Amino acid sequence: MTLDSKSLSTAASPPLRGVVFRAWSGTRWVETAVSGLDERALVGAGESLESQLAAGRSGSPPPGPSATTVGSFDTAPRRPMRDLGTEGALAWVREVFRWLTDVPTIKFARVSLNWADEERYYLNTAGANCFQRLNRVHAGVVPVAIENGRSEFDAYSIGRLGGQEALDDISEATARRVSEGARSLLTAKAPPSGLMNVLLDPGTTGTFAHESFGHGTEADQFVRNRSYLQPLLGQTVGPEFLTIVDDGSIPGGWGSIYFDDEGHRSQRTPLVDRGRFVGALHDRGTAFALGATPTGNTRRADFLGQAFVRMTNTSVEPGDWSFDELVSEARDGVLLERWVSGMEDPLGGRMQLKVLKGHRIENGKVTDLVSAMALSGSVLQFLRDIRGIASAEHRYIDAGFCGKGYGDMLPVGDGGTYLLSRALVGPS
Amino acid sequence: MSAPSDLAVRVADRLGGLAGPWDVFAERSRRFEIHLNGLTVELTRGPIVLEGYGLRLLRAIDGQTGIGYQASTDPSDEGVRAAVEDAEKFARFNQFPAQHPELPSGRPPVGTGVTIVDPALWSNPSGSLEGFAAALLAAFEGRNGVVPSFSSVKATLVETSIANSAGLAHAYPHTVVETEVAVKAFGGPEGRPPGEYWFTNIGRRLDSRPLPALAADWSRFAEDARHAGSTPNGEVPVVLPPEVLAGIVPNVLRFQFGAAARLRGLGVESASSVGIEGLDIVDDGLLDWGIGSSPVDDEGTPQRRRGLISNGKVSELLFDVLHADALGAKSTGSGARTSGIDPSASVSRKFTRRPMPDASTIVIPAGDGGTDAEVIEQVDDGIWVQQIGWAEPDGLSGRFGGEIRIGYRIRHGKLAEPVRGGTVGGVVVAREGAPSLLRDLLVVGSRPELVGSLSSPTLLIRSLPVSGDGPPAATATP
Repeated sequence: MTLDSKSLSTAASPPLRGVVFRAWSGTRWVETAVSGLDERALVGAGESLESQLAAGRSGSPPPGPSATTVGSFDTAPRRPMRDLGTEGALAWVREVFRWLTDVPTIKFARVSLNWADEERYYLNTAGANCFQRLNRVHAGVVPVAIENGRSEFDAYSIGRLGGQEALDDISEATARRVSEGARSLLTAKAPPSGLMNVLLDPGTTGTFAHESFGHGTEADQFVRNRSYLQPLLGQTVGPEFLTIVDDGSIPGGWGSIYFDDEGHRSQRTPLVDRGRFVGALHDRGTAFALGATPTGNTRRADFLGQAFVRMTNTSVEPGDWSFDELVSEARDGVLLERWVSGMEDPLGGRMQLKVLKGHRIENGKVTDLVSAMALSGSVLQFLRDIRGIASAEHRYIDAGFCGKGYGDMLPVGDGGTYLLSRALVGPS
Repeated sequence: MSAPSDLAVRVADRLGGLAGPWDVFAERSRRFEIHLNGLTVELTRGPIVLEGYGLRLLRAIDGQTGIGYQASTDPSDEGVRAAVEDAEKFARFNQFPAQHPELPSGRPPVGTGVTIVDPALWSNPSGSLEGFAAALLAAFEGRNGVVPSFSSVKATLVETSIANSAGLAHAYPHTVVETEVAVKAFGGPEGRPPGEYWFTNIGRRLDSRPLPALAADWSRFAEDARHAGSTPNGEVPVVLPPEVLAGIVPNVLRFQFGAAARLRGLGVESASSVGIEGLDIVDDGLLDWGIGSSPVDDEGTPQRRRGLISNGKVSELLFDVLHADALGAKSTGSGARTSGIDPSASVSRKFTRRPMPDASTIVIPAGDGGTDAEVIEQVDDGIWVQQIGWAEPDGLSGRFGGEIRIGYRIRHGKLAEPVRGGTVGGVVVAREGAPSLLRDLLVVGSRPELVGSLSSPTLLIRSLPVSGDGPPAATATP
């Protein structure tokens, strides 16, 4: 459901149903997939698979042990979104829209509310037979301020597994604050440029954990000899107070799953433990190749997509600094706020993070608002330069979407608290 | 080639006496993929078969149009009935400020054909992919210290069909090819860390002929990334080749020139000056091999060329049926069921989305700047940007920016040492008086290339802000 200043759009996503078959040919995995669950479609996909297997050579057995998970798992929200009904959802969207547009100079606004009930079965020849129902809720607001021919926007979104309780995270105060954010950007100053101290807000810290660091821990990149992190396994990469984890088992997490698309249960996987790079994310193939165990990170966007090693909820664990202490420690630099995107560089170990806005830090104080910025530099240098991480009171896990190559978008959680380091800041 | 699937007509036949206006957009797609790990095939996929349709109802409600939309993969009587019920339900809630939208009727004129099918790929998808993968690997044979660390090629064969209550019935096939190659340079006596060039592209055909030359370029970029120096800092003349521009220009223009932005008081103003004098930019829905090309748009309106910018000024906007009615215009054949998030979904899962005004292929015509070398000769001190991490252009503000993954310093009219790191950014389209990429165009090259949804030659921009950790560049511009 999307409401903006000119139109209201409500629709249900198509009930896409389908199946993907995967088999080991002796040398490689072979897959076919088909939409629909009717017998004709399934038989056709099965025959296509068999014909490809018949053409293959015999070879080794499939890599690694097959999952044997059996069970049924359900988000089971106490207040399911479907109970809200179209009218109830519309009332919520209209109310948020009113909150946004009550702020002067907000000439356009958009409110979106989406929820999906996703059901996944996984079965294999080793006996795995599991089912999960994932109820995902996502909502976002985008107010646009326009004055004297200049337009600026701010944005805020929430996402989690659950039901109507997720909507409580967008209150009237939140909506107005976002609109005021857009309005204030009309007079924002140009951002600084160059190498400087950077204080990342919790969402930007999470985007760093996911995009800049996390992609280098996906072990398919190890198997391809395509990760700058691979030679550093077991070594110190950051300060003793730095811990980074991927955790697909967080209750209600936007990127949480009960089991992955090879049937392995989701889990908490430490990537950096007290400054030491200790682990990677695995599917059965990479785990077999590298002598590790699967970590429950094999994910498909849907039955049409490829199964890759993917992150779930990736975050920097809290430290013990207060926000004011971090600002004081930074002394001069910039506070980066409202992440927009990040871009991975698994082999080169470079980073790109973009934010919508920020504030200068001058003489240990937060001062002028500045407009959009991009942050770049070496990930390893950034890790070495971390000087402080804020305490758990600021911890937040943002709802994002991650692609791998073209498409294959998946919900992922990116989280953390305020984090102080040093990097190149430039235009965005 | 057999006649494309007429799924839309089959669904329309099941609608019985459903009151119009309505339209049905359907797709049957078959996808094939090969994934390589180094020189080894690690996964083959296909056929991945997806068949579905989207039903749209337009209902007059309180002087506006209630749009009911539902998509489904079930074309049975029961499935169509359920889709109609859902669409009717949503039409009662939805509001759009159109009063008398007119869906296109009849058949598109014969002779406006556009080449969007790779015939060899269509007739033998698996064999064509295997041949392409073999040619890709062969292109790297004999290259010491360079390897494609991973690569994939994906081909989707799509049969699109459209039918509506005005009598339109049309079907056409098209092919989509997505290629991804990560080239790694490594080894050597210096002990430098490896370097990578990561190539991605989306197009209409498998063409292995340019692979040897491309492999040579990719290998050079990967090797140069290993010993690249720092990017300068400051306002710098910047040369942007089509590969980089394709990640910047289309996403901004599609929003700024789309009637959806106009309806909401956003986007460019009519007849306003947005570029240098003499600059013409068109959106071409009939460009051969264009990823956005098709005989008709996703509402069935015939495609055509649309002049977006003429002599530096805004000339024409992009309209679909509903926005045309709301703004008192006619559809420009720009009703597209695209997604801004997932490029591959834009070309093979369209039935899951409603039409909105969008661009097909943005075309910046050849200028008189000559070859790339001749464009570079115009720069005394600047940079050539070969690849940006992700420019992530923002349609609303027109801003773009990202990390320079690999570039080259230009000194005295020649490419000099490779540079890497830091960010480059700017604004594609800005209000009158403000600097922008189109307003600061200094030289337009003479050799356009089709990359993704852009056809453009190399461009020299007078200056863009670059944030690197190298010394400032001389700011003199030619």
